[in-house]
Amino acid sequence: MSDDLESRLRAALRPVAPSEEFTQKLIARVTADQGSEVNPRGAGRRSPKASAWWLSASLAASLLVATGVQHHLKERRDTERGLEARRQVIEALRVTSQKLNLAYEVIKSESSSPADDEPGV
Amino acid sequence: MLTLTEAAPGFSDEQLAKARSGDAAALASLIRAHQRSVYTLALRMLDTRELAEDLTQEVFMQLNRNLKSMASNTHLSFWLRKVTTYRAIDQLRRRSRIEMMPLDDEAPLHSTADGGDPLLQRHLQRLLLELSPPARAVLLLRYQEDLDPIDIARTLDMPINTVKSHLKRSLEILRQRTPNPDRSRCEDQST
Repeated sequence: MSDDLESRLRAALRPVAPSEEFTQKLIARVTADQGSEVNPRGAGRRSPKASAWWLSASLAASLLVATGVQHHLKERRDTERGLEARRQVIEALRVTSQKLNLAYEVIKSESSSPADDEPGV
Repeated sequence: MLTLTEAAPGFSDEQLAKARSGDAAALASLIRAHQRSVYTLALRMLDTRELAEDLTQEVFMQLNRNLKSMASNTHLSFWLRKVTTYRAIDQLRRRSRIEMMPLDDEAPLHSTADGGDPLLQRHLQRLLLELSPPARAVLLLRYQEDLDPIDIARTLDMPINTVKSHLKRSLEILRQRTPNPDRSRCEDQST
């Protein structure tokens, strides 16, 4: 029984050949691939589809880098402007403070002078 | 029986050397000599002609890139069987949830010039598709490629006992589900 089943299996599983059309295509494809590998000039060459992909990827990467650099420069300019504005405000406050002190001194000296001159007080 | 110590028929080590050195005619001979085995393994593993043709092409393209490492025609046969079964098992695992096309939609796998029962052969082929991919690969290497269990274990990187247990279990399943014409004849005569 076992031998019978095994012989039937062998009969059922005999190797079959693919179609001649497929064989021709397979040989053409593989030998063409071999030719491109033998030719060193073609060895590193990418297919048009791969080249297009690489071109798109390079453009996208360049665009990203350019945007990043531009953003960084803008931030730096804004920071510098902010610091300059801060310096100017501090300077303005310092000058204002000096003027106020001066005015205070003047008012103080003027208000003390007539009192000293009044007799009998 | 074709074992790992024998060369595949129709192709010599001298032709392999020529193919390795870039001889297109020798490469074409190599493909013609080995495509039957690769294609049939792929077809019986994957069950669809288109997928089998795609896999056959992928295997030979891969072989072309590794041709320089092929030491002999025997090594080449071993490599082709190994890569074909590994790739087929991998594909089956990836598409395990996709429903497979029934074999009825396919053209007959081969003629019945040997006088075998075509219905019984079709039945066995259909049962084969119900086995797990590794069990199917073991059965194909045993009964299609005529490898012995030791060579099957080497090809599939599988312990010999696993190969034997796959063979035993698969044959048991096939035996249970295959009608025995001799037994049927006896039963007919007794009634």
